[in-house]
Amino acid sequence: MTILNITYQGRSADYHLDLDHATGDADIRRIAVEVVRSGGVRGLHLPNLPMSTFNTFVVDRLRAPNGEQRIYLRPKVPFGCQLRV
Amino acid sequence: MAKRILICGVGALGSTCVYFIRNVEAELRLVDFDRVESKNLSAQWFVKQSVGKNKAEAVRLQLANFFGTSAGKQGAEAMGVRLATTNVAQLLAGCDLAVDCFDNADSRNVLSEGARAANVPLLHGALAADGTVGLVRWDERFTADKEDVEGQATCEGGEHLPMIGLVGATLARSIQDFLKSGDRNDYLVSLSGSVQTS
Repeated sequence: MTILNITYQGRSADYHLDLDHATGDADIRRIAVEVVRSGGVRGLHLPNLPMSTFNTFVVDRLRAPNGEQRIYLRPKVPFGCQLRV
Repeated sequence: MAKRILICGVGALGSTCVYFIRNVEAELRLVDFDRVESKNLSAQWFVKQSVGKNKAEAVRLQLANFFGTSAGKQGAEAMGVRLATTNVAQLLAGCDLAVDCFDNADSRNVLSEGARAANVPLLHGALAADGTVGLVRWDERFTADKEDVEGQATCEGGEHLPMIGLVGATLARSIQDFLKSGDRNDYLVSLSGSVQTS
């Protein structure tokens, strides 16, 4: 069992799924769109979410402090310092 | 002997993080080549009197003026330079911890390589362009994200200040934990809160 955590528009939620931890990034993004559309992710039910929504998102595979295998799907985080205008 | 922490980049995230670690038992070494502009005041921990000053020096002065010589407990020193392969070893010298608050992957990678070579623990702080999510992650589990478009805008007009505050505070907490017990805790920070991820 792997936990997929999806962070989108400032909200973050877990989804438990039977998935190999090494599943490819493209498949993770596709599965994420489908589960968010279906309402399977508590707090993130968006029936009309475009299929390309997560195309630029980053997939992280980490082991949680309690030993769980977790996959995080999140926006890129390139910033930290300056105002860029 | 007092610990020394290198803070790389004291713009939005770095200056906010410094504000939240001003009470740690450590000397702060602040690195930033940039100068404070009036537009920075809405998203970064700078005051009107700092406009025109080098950012590292401005943060050092603010710590001293607002909180006295005990700021950072052991004080702070400002390095108004751009971190590069030619000076990263010098800047890291004598440091017990480095904190990455840069805004671009190239600088992050230079710092990572330098910290690994010098065997200095490195903690990264990073923020999404739309201000909806941030990361606090130790170097062994961190990969720098590239901007979607070079020069991509963020932090405009202080719109993302609440998220900058959340990520800056979470960085400070992870620094405190490390100094206290050596723990290297990672966090994912979203608008629904901070979740420990490692």
